[in-house]
Amino acid sequence: MSLTTSPPPLSIPVSSQDTQIADPDVDTTETTEVDKPWIVLVWNDPINLMSYVSFVFQKLFGYSKEKADALMLDVHEKGRAVVSTGPREHAELDVFRLHEHGLWATMQQDS
Amino acid sequence: MRRRRPSGPIEAIGNGTFLINLPEQDRLTLSGFVDQLEQLLHADTQDPRVRRLFPVAYHDDPDRDAEYQNYMHDELQQSRLNSIAMVREVLAHDEPLTEAQLHGFMMIINNLRLVLGTLLDVDESADTDDIDESDPLFGQAQLYGYLGWLLEWTVSAMTGE
Repeated sequence: MSLTTSPPPLSIPVSSQDTQIADPDVDTTETTEVDKPWIVLVWNDPINLMSYVSFVFQKLFGYSKEKADALMLDVHEKGRAVVSTGPREHAELDVFRLHEHGLWATMQQDS
Repeated sequence: MRRRRPSGPIEAIGNGTFLINLPEQDRLTLSGFVDQLEQLLHADTQDPRVRRLFPVAYHDDPDRDAEYQNYMHDELQQSRLNSIAMVREVLAHDEPLTEAQLHGFMMIINNLRLVLGTLLDVDESADTDDIDESDPLFGQAQLYGYLGWLLEWTVSAMTGE
């Protein structure tokens, strides 16, 4: 496989359409209790490759291939999965690293 | 001496090093896309392609998310710009890569896929291989497929599978 065609731009060549991504639709109740841990969620998206998502889980969290694959399949089949839990600062760092890798990650306080 | 036959576009050659077996034209074309990605990173943050690269962190708390974006957005952008600079170097020189370099390459290839996938409005049922040649996004769909192929090989080389 090779890039034989003239390079297309990373932009839409006709009138732009609204491809705005909706925020994940999740029913949550805000809580401000400080003692509850924070959970980091990864949401399903149709772009990221399954093999890539599993590899990122192994790389970032040190998970075994089996655990990473199981989490990846949860994301794919159930729409989301909790990939880490901890204090808010740790959750923010995990979200940052997941965003760095292009995964759709969010965080919330555990209910 | 027999020359090693490349096993794919990305090849592990031992001691944590890798080769990118791509023709010069592909390297140049990829460099062009990396340049476009860099420009996009400086673009309007409301552009859907940019929004996909800087997703919300607190999906149920806009105030906390605004605070998060306020101090993390620039850091995320700088991280990507650093990877872009590294990938540019990697593509310009046909030399072995370290694992860290290949990791940066992998992230940027994935960034490009995210931009293109958003542009193509990819969903679970869409098969971008079916896009007709007359479609104005045909070139982008081809590139999306190419980058997926390249990313699969990259992950495979890094995992040894």
